[in-house]
This record gives sequence, C-alpha cells and structure tokens, in this order.
Amino acid sequence: MRILVAEARVPFARDGAELHAQSLVTQLRLRGHDAETVALPFHGRKNELLEQACAWRMLNLSSSNARPIDLLIATRFPTWCARHPRKVVWLIHQHRAAYDLYGTPYSDFTGSDEDRRLREQIAELDSRMFTECETIVTNAKNTADRVRRFNGVDARPLYHPPPIADRLRAGPYGDYILLVSRLEPLKRVDLAIAAMMQVAAPVRLVIVGDGSQRAALEREAAQRGAANRITFAGALWGEAVAELYAGALGVLYAPFDEDYGYVTLEAFLAARPVITAADSGGTLEFVRDGVNGFVCAPDAAALAAAIDRLAGDRPLAERLGCAGQSAARAITWDGVIEQLLG
Amino acid sequence: MTQLRILILEAQVPFVHGGAEILVRELAAALTARGHLAQIVSVPFTDAPKEELFAGVEAWRMLDVTRAAGGDVDLVIPTKFPTYFARHPRKVLWLVHQHRAAYELAGTRFSDFDHTPRDVALRRRLIEADTRVLRECIGHFTIARTVSDRMLKYNGIASEALYNPPKLASRLRPGPYGDYVLTVTRLEHVKRVDLTIDTFEKTTASVRLLIAGDGSIRHELGEYIERRGLRDRVTLLGRVDDDRLIELYAGCLAVLFAPYQEDYGYVTLEAFLSRKPVITARDSGGTLEFVADGVNGYVCEPTPESLAEAVNRLAADPSRAASLGERGRGIAAAITWDHVVDRLIGAAHLVGAGA
Repeated sequence: MRILVAEARVPFARDGAELHAQSLVTQLRLRGHDAETVALPFHGRKNELLEQACAWRMLNLSSSNARPIDLLIATRFPTWCARHPRKVVWLIHQHRAAYDLYGTPYSDFTGSDEDRRLREQIAELDSRMFTECETIVTNAKNTADRVRRFNGVDARPLYHPPPIADRLRAGPYGDYILLVSRLEPLKRVDLAIAAMMQVAAPVRLVIVGDGSQRAALEREAAQRGAANRITFAGALWGEAVAELYAGALGVLYAPFDEDYGYVTLEAFLAARPVITAADSGGTLEFVRDGVNGFVCAPDAAALAAAIDRLAGDRPLAERLGCAGQSAARAITWDGVIEQLLG
Repeated sequence: MTQLRILILEAQVPFVHGGAEILVRELAAALTARGHLAQIVSVPFTDAPKEELFAGVEAWRMLDVTRAAGGDVDLVIPTKFPTYFARHPRKVLWLVHQHRAAYELAGTRFSDFDHTPRDVALRRRLIEADTRVLRECIGHFTIARTVSDRMLKYNGIASEALYNPPKLASRLRPGPYGDYVLTVTRLEHVKRVDLTIDTFEKTTASVRLLIAGDGSIRHELGEYIERRGLRDRVTLLGRVDDDRLIELYAGCLAVLFAPYQEDYGYVTLEAFLSRKPVITARDSGGTLEFVADGVNGYVCEPTPESLAEAVNRLAADPSRAASLGERGRGIAAAITWDHVVDRLIGAAHLVGAGA
C-alpha cells in the first residue's frame, strides 16, 4: 500500500511526536509498504490555530503524480483536516491547550469570550473531522479518554514500542537517577530538582533533554547548591541515551498528565524501575506502585523517599525493573500495524 | 560569523524523489556545514485536478514561517511553485521552477493546460499570482539560465542563475571510453526518452544504450523497446544506486541527454565531472548552458538521425570523446556550494542581524 503519515512539526524543535511518525514510517516500510511522512510547520499560538487547520484542509492527498495514495494516517492536530478518502487517526495528541490543559498554567487560553469561542471551534472542528475518519486509535489510554470526553468519539489505545527499543539493555544499577524529558513546564523537571534536595543517599540526577526551560532549571539547580549532584546532559539520541538507561539506578519521570511518554517503556526495556507521580497520566498505564516502580504524591518529599528506597536496596531496583521489562516487551509494531491497516 | 536560522521551502510530491529534492537537501547540508541552523519545510503538492493548484497556493499563504522553536526565522528560501507564496519579510528565491505546465509547457503534449477559455484564464490567474508574490522576494536567483529567462519572459522579473554542483561531485571519476552510451533520467514524457531510444535504431556503430532511472512510463518504454526490436541495443536499468551510477558514468563512451526544455539537470555536470562528452539537442534547455557543440559535446537537432550521427562520430573515435570530456570537466569543477551560499545569504542583507 502507498501510505502517508501526517504530522505537524515545529521547525527547529525535535520531540516525541516526530519520532512517532518516523518510527511508523520505518515499520511500514519494513513490512513492504511504500510509506512517507507529510509534515507542515506548526505553531501552538492560539491566534493561528484555525489558519493552520485550514492549510491542512487545503491539501488533497488522495493522489500523487497521477497515482492514488491508499491511506492517510493522521497523528495530531490539525493533520486530520487533510482531504483523503481513507483516513485513519492514530492520535498522539490534540491541541491540549484548548482541551484538558485549559484552566491550568500550561494553557495560553484565557476565560475571555474570544478564547471560549475559539476552544469551542477547535473542539467542533476536531469532532467533525473525526467523523470523516475510518478508525480512531490513540497512543495511550489517557488520550483515548480525552477524545471520548471532549469529542464524544470512541477510541481505543494502541501502544507502540519506543524508537530506541532495539538498543535498550540492562546494565548495573548505578549511582544516578535518570530523567529524560524535554525541558518544558508541563514536564515538571523543577519538581525533580526539588526532590533531589531532599534525597539523603549519595545519588546524582542526570537530566537528558533540552527545551525552553533549560537555562532557568540550571540556574535553579545552582542556586540550591545542587550543581554537583545534578547534571544537565543536553539533548542526546540513540546509543548515548541507551547507555545512560543501562547504568541508571532508576528512572524518574513525573510530568503533569502526560499522554504516553516513551520514557516509561524505555526505562522498562532497560529493566529500570520508574518513579512517577499520581497525576502523571500516561505513565500510570504501566507503572504499578511497588511492582515495577513507585507511584508517589506529586511532591518533592514523596519522590525523594522513593529515590532513597532504591538507593538503599539495589536488589529491589533490579526486581522492579525486571518486572517492568516483561510488560514492555509485549508491545510490538506488528500489533500496531495490523490494527491501523484494518 | 553570525549563525542564521534559515528555512528552505520545498514542494513535496509524495512518493516521487527527484533532482529538486536532492537540491534542497544539499542546500540544507551546505548551510549547516557553514554554521547556520537550516531546516527544510515541505508541503505536499498536487497538480491534479488543476483547480487544486490554488489550494496549494492558499496552504502556503496560510502557514507562518516567520517563527519557529527558539525564536524568529531570519531567512526563508523558496524553491518551487507554490513555496514562494509563504509569508516572510525576508524571502530569497532560489527558483527551481514555477508550475511549468501553466508556463512554457502549455499547449505542448507535456501539459494538461489546453487552449480553451477556461484553461487560458486559469493560466493567466496563476501567472499573475506568481508575479505578484515573486516580487515580494528580496533576492531573485534561479538554478539555471533557462529558469531565469522564463521568469523574465513571463513574470518580468530579472534574476541571477546560481548553479550548484551535483550531489556526487566529489565522487565521480573518469574511466575507459567504453562501448555504451549512458542516459540518466527519470522516465517521464518530458524527458523524451523515446527520442533517445529511436536514436539507436539509426546508429550504425556497435554501441549500446544504457538508461538509468525509473518513472511513471517505465513499463511503456519497455514495450516500446520491444516493439522497435531494440532489445539487444537498449537496456532499461531502472533505478541504480550511487556506486553503480558512478561506475556507469566512469565507463561510458558519452552521455546522451536530450530532454525537452530541461531547466538544469545534473546529468550534464555529472558527465563532465566524469570527463565524458554530452550529446544533447538544441531545444533541451539547461544542458545548453554548458554544452558547446564540438567543444565538450554535441548539440544536435532533436531527431534520431542527428543524435545518431553524433553517437557514431564518437564511437568511431573514442580519443575524441576523451578530449571533449576533458574540456567539460573544467566547466563543471568551477561550480561550488560556497558560491551558492554566499550569494543567497548576501542577498538577505543580514549582516549584523540574526540570532
């Protein structure tokens, strides 16, 4: 089949969404399909959202160079607005600022009439576009719940392996906790730094990733006198990240209401326990407290206590990590593609 | 040096991979190698039905390419129709082509625009829109003189032709002047591969024709070769990888490339960098910016007879092929990415500005 995977990309940014589409294309090709991505530039600013949706609507992707395209797989707002007779949605996320993030500090939508109207328009647009689609699956249960709640659409979660799945392996349970995240407010890396201030055991925190908050977070770590315990490794990819997973004591990942997050599965595939928070969303689909990690209250003291427990009992870290590994290994690309192609 | 944040704008034709796509990636690599932050923005393009052309225009017009992660975009470089419809205060055009079916191809067998009131009106609207928006650019460059001539003729806008080296430039090498003539082309009607095939019905010499490349009319051409009884003389190789292509260039007697009004075509430069003469036709467009008749190749009539005569002449005297090819090499080696990048960025007048 000739398949297009549609994504929306912020120029010069690199995040999970791009990897999501790219991995899908790679996996489709491995199975003999002719697959390619289509990506329009995207900006989250609210005054341009509808224009960007219109730009997608302008695209007629039913054929290319006089040959039909068999299937379009849309991944996030507003890619499902493109025109194609056979659209399938594998939803990574909607424009969350207009949905569940509204009313939190993470949204730029205010209570003004204008913003309320825009939120309604976006929800209506999404709902209408979803009716054009043959199937709607989501990357996580959290996302599926949201589509049901806001758009009245019945969607199932369809999990997929993280892009670096093949590189991940287990190593010794070392003297550092790993945090892999884009450095954005929603990821709550400040909470992890605060937790480190209360950790008694001699463990360090290694933070992999980059983002708009990096300078502020580094400043915060320095001001709290934690510069020698917290390392900002910057954005790393592939083998460099796999190496860090392999030697970590555990993985800390406590964002606010994350959708999916490869991090949990990556940690598990490297047999690392995951410390997360009760309001972290997608991580909770996999992390079971005391089984393969710890689910803590979203405060520094609780996270610090979990880190201290792992530091004081490395066999426990190993046991939890191995339990996670078997769960993560059940998620395969074969399953994903079978469901998407119908 | 100031690091600039640059977006190169590309019209993507899904599942088709051609020269323009390579050009854009090479430009991104050249900018990155010189310390800039460069990325490609691609929007799918469709030209069927014709009315969709304006939808593509609107899509580009609605996208904001002035800002990206980490701040403002200093410069955008549009390449093909309709990428120049993007909005940005600093657009420096490096034109690959407009929508050629609405320009010089209209009325030929290569275009779906006919001489009907409806099509004529559509063409006029399209060309007028192009002209208006092309004027928004603060610098005007094209990939070849043919493209510059066309923009001057149809849009009244002057520009500078800015050539770039082919992707394989550093790897191409000379070799023996063997018993085959090479054609490297996408298999599309406008490339006039049928003319090339017909030529080998007229060649008396014992040279074969090898055709590297794939395209929408491959099957059709295969049948054509059979019908003409040229199976022993002409071979469709399909798409070949870079190593094989370099080898094919190195071992050929000459390169035959006679498309209709080609814009640029790396094939000429690739042939020259392999020290091979190029046989082309006087209506082949871009090849004529480099090929001089009797100097580094032959410029023939677009007929099998005329092209066959040139093939026969080289087959009878391979040392002549060597001396023509050697002269071609000098021309091709003078084309560099440094020059391209300097001119494009210089036109943006960004000295002291930027990130």
